Amino acid sequence: MEADELLVLVARGDQKAFEDLYALVSGPVFGLVRRVVRDPAQSEEVAQEVLLELWRSAPRFDPGRGSALSWILTLAHRRAVDRVRSARAAGEREQREARRAHHPAFDQVAEEVEAGLEREWVRRCLDRLTALQRQSVTLAYYDGYTYREVAERLALPLGTVKTRMRDGLTRLRECLGGVA
Amino acid sequence: MSVFSRLRQGDLHSLAAPYALDALDPDERRRFERHLAGCDRCAAEVRALSQDAVRLAWTTTSVAPPALRDRVLTAVRNTPQDPAPGQDAARSRAPHLPPHVWGTEPPPARPHAPRLRPLFAPLATATAAAALVVAALFGVQAAQTQDKLDAERAQAREIAHVLAAPDARASSDADTRGRGIGVIASASEGRAVVTLSGLDALPGGRVHQLWLMRPHAHPRSLGLFDGDTPLVASGLDRTATSLAVTVEPDGGSRQPTSQPVVQLALQSVGFGQ
Repeated sequence: MEADELLVLVARGDQKAFEDLYALVSGPVFGLVRRVVRDPAQSEEVAQEVLLELWRSAPRFDPGRGSALSWILTLAHRRAVDRVRSARAAGEREQREARRAHHPAFDQVAEEVEAGLEREWVRRCLDRLTALQRQSVTLAYYDGYTYREVAERLALPLGTVKTRMRDGLTRLRECLGGVA
Repeated sequence: MSVFSRLRQGDLHSLAAPYALDALDPDERRRFERHLAGCDRCAAEVRALSQDAVRLAWTTTSVAPPALRDRVLTAVRNTPQDPAPGQDAARSRAPHLPPHVWGTEPPPARPHAPRLRPLFAPLATATAAAALVVAALFGVQAAQTQDKLDAERAQAREIAHVLAAPDARASSDADTRGRGIGVIASASEGRAVVTLSGLDALPGGRVHQLWLMRPHAHPRSLGLFDGDTPLVASGLDRTATSLAVTVEPDGGSRQPTSQPVVQLALQSVGFGQ
């Protein structure tokens, strides 16, 4: 069964369906959170929050508004970004070391997983963006920087960064075509 | 509209892409979301850009640590689910959405939720933000029926969403008596805008009800027509083969009680696979 069908069952309180849904989405959720948050222990916490939120909010999901996986990954990304920003604000290194003392690092990395076709496709499409488009999009999405921070890091005016982000996403859409 | 507010609108529009990438700071995010709530064009645009952004997650898939599964499943067994929007009595009593849906306040406490490992980020912030994404992008709690204007605005936005889908396709049919049905549908979004034309006026106490026909399944109601207003149907699965309209008693029926007055095959708009 696909995530969309499972989520409908989960919305009715079906715990077995949630286990199946977990099997489908935990990898994408954890991978995305891990990419943004970086710290293994914090990534686990955020992923746990997102997956539990998925259980709680399932009854409110409207399948007409988009795919279940998009919904879940949108939630996961927002949570991951919120976490990485508050961690940065609080002094990243100190926190990471403090946590390492309590939680052994989880050393499984994304590269261990067999690269899917979609992954390769997105990477290729990212390569076709201009350098500024790509950097603007990836610094925001994968590294959790605000567009103001991106502008600072790239020494660009704010308006330029906003435009590069939009153009980057639009070109990505064109490159990926109608693949959902 | 003053020059000042027009400038500000333009400025806010340009935040659609950073918003879709979660690249706004909390203040800007809130301002943009307030703007989004009343800007149909932005909502459609943000939705499209957000779907582009989600594709970036395709490159990051990994394997979750095994211990995470046990913790999550244990928590799930002890965590009540939120009510579905229709059953949310508190919400239907209140004319406005609760503030936390729009990210300005933390959600109500959940006394029964198990204590998770402590978080660095205040949980309330993250939860409010998450609820908001859900509301803004997927309409989970966005059924704002506080008055007719809102309902119409919401419907216009829903129609715009269907029209904006990359795979939106149109089809229509009419019988020899000129009774017609038209549809614009997006198979990827599972949504369709359906219009009727040339139907006989209905006697009092009767309505036109729209049904989704699927193989090996009972017809599923997609809603009731309100006069000649287009009906936005959602949750169409790809196996759907056709739409049918019947005349039913006021309030609609659980299953059709009469022969269809009009019907339309959905194959040409990407369904029936």
